[in-house]
Amino acid sequence: MKIVVTVKLVPDTNAEKRIDPGTQRLIRTGVETVLNPYDEYALEAALALKEKLADGSTVTVLAMAPEATKETLRKALAMGADDAVFLTDAALAGTDTLGTADVLAHALKNIGFDLVICGGLSDDGSTGGVPGALAEFLAVPGITNARSLEIIDGRVHAQRETDNGYQVVSAALPVMLSVTMAVGEPRYASLKGIMGAKKKPIAPMALANIGAPGSAGAAGAKISLLSTAPPPVRGKAKVVEATDGLSGAQAVLDFLKERKLV
Amino acid sequence: MQNVLVYVEHKKGQTRKVTFELATQARELADKLGGKAHAIVLGAGAKALAEQLASYPLDAVHYSEDGDVDAYLADPTIAYVQAAVAAIGPSLVLVPNTMQGRDIGSRLAARLGAGYAADVTGFAVDGGALVVTMPKMGGATISQAKFNAADHGIAAVRPNAFGAAKGGSGATVLELSKVSGAYRITIENEVEEASGELGLEEAATVVAGGRGLGGPEAFTGILKDLADAFGGAVGASRAAADAGWVPYSLQIGQTGKTVSPNLYIGVAISGAIQHKVGMRSSGTIVAINKDGQAPIAEFCDLLVVGDAFAIVPELTKLVRAAKA
Repeated sequence: MKIVVTVKLVPDTNAEKRIDPGTQRLIRTGVETVLNPYDEYALEAALALKEKLADGSTVTVLAMAPEATKETLRKALAMGADDAVFLTDAALAGTDTLGTADVLAHALKNIGFDLVICGGLSDDGSTGGVPGALAEFLAVPGITNARSLEIIDGRVHAQRETDNGYQVVSAALPVMLSVTMAVGEPRYASLKGIMGAKKKPIAPMALANIGAPGSAGAAGAKISLLSTAPPPVRGKAKVVEATDGLSGAQAVLDFLKERKLV
Repeated sequence: MQNVLVYVEHKKGQTRKVTFELATQARELADKLGGKAHAIVLGAGAKALAEQLASYPLDAVHYSEDGDVDAYLADPTIAYVQAAVAAIGPSLVLVPNTMQGRDIGSRLAARLGAGYAADVTGFAVDGGALVVTMPKMGGATISQAKFNAADHGIAAVRPNAFGAAKGGSGATVLELSKVSGAYRITIENEVEEASGELGLEEAATVVAGGRGLGGPEAFTGILKDLADAFGGAVGASRAAADAGWVPYSLQIGQTGKTVSPNLYIGVAISGAIQHKVGMRSSGTIVAINKDGQAPIAEFCDLLVVGDAFAIVPELTKLVRAAKA
């Protein structure tokens, strides 16, 4: 079975993000590019499935990102993916959520797949819109927010997270599946994995290879970014040293009353 | 797009607060866009909920109790919404920015070839074009974006971002005619693990606990009592969820939930960046921590330095007394 995991490359999730007041753009200096943490869970789910199947199934990772971030994909290979496809093209700048899903669908059709696994959300854009739209563009069943999965007789059986529990669902392959972090902690890359990753192939792909979908880039976007600004500034906090439980509690209550929250 | 259609998320007729926020916002937007405000409710319990929604300022509420909606994932729901959009005309579809809302919204966007905006916290109509406000990068930036197409658009709206108010002269409640299709994902079973408590993302007050609480007891004890006194919900930091003290569904922050309640109280939470991104846009932020130098001091409104186990129960008593 061919499993493809889509990964996004995002600014380091643990770095404090700041906007340059002049350019209104994110300050990227000193901020590394990393695998979107949600996608590491998708990769973990794919690798665990491959190990469980133990039938020669393969895991390919697909990323769509600027050329300069390509080496970030080595981490996915070090974790255990067999190979990678790196879709990069200057014409992709400004692609919106729907365009991203459409372009990825074109790429996935080109690569071929039995099962596509995605993370549920990206750490930077956080639209959570790619998995659902991707399933539609691929015209395959889309099982979103899965917390566990297994393959039985050509069908994916999954537990799907809901707000107060889960649903048990199933659909015939090929399937697009997105996962939540309940699928299990992503593994660490072993030293052997890291060494081996250097030799694994990262195949380049450009828009011309996949039929140059019109949804790519700012020109194809259904939504255009007008402005980016820092959030409103919160004033300096009031600090109260509590001498005992009651004085601390009273300080909170007084503050909440001042703000008409009680 | 002139009209507005609210997709109503519910379970057997029980809906979320965000539904009423969307219904109220739909009226305002429809008036600005020069169209009508509609809502659509699908599945078991839809009729009773549609009747309940009629007291909000909508023009029409469409419903279907077709069993397919609860037997198959997403596909029948999309088919009904698509049919409704076709009947209503060019529309902005509002979905809640929840797991289910984003799922339905993004699929619908792909089917309609419509723009999709998520985590929307504000709307403006500028020269006929719809402009949305969305926090990005975990709230570190606030973006404004414009829908380019004139026909359809989808917006996933953050719960608690808008107010809800009944009004209008009573919406017309209409049953949708049967839509059929080849549905592919079978829902075999539905299991409830938690009681139907108010969702964390929708609570007006969130009381969150961290590693400093030392174990699971505080979450079901002193934090729960304080949250109950406010009529709010309990949340947690990643450290508390990783330790197994609370289910992951209560985790706030990166890889967890994003909340923006009117009041957030962080108890023994240091305020690491990965928690901060999930709560920084809350209205008022109160921290109770034994460390006056904790990172949360930099982005809260009030920091009380002291012993949480002594302060929280006293605060619960004071809040109860103040509300009595």
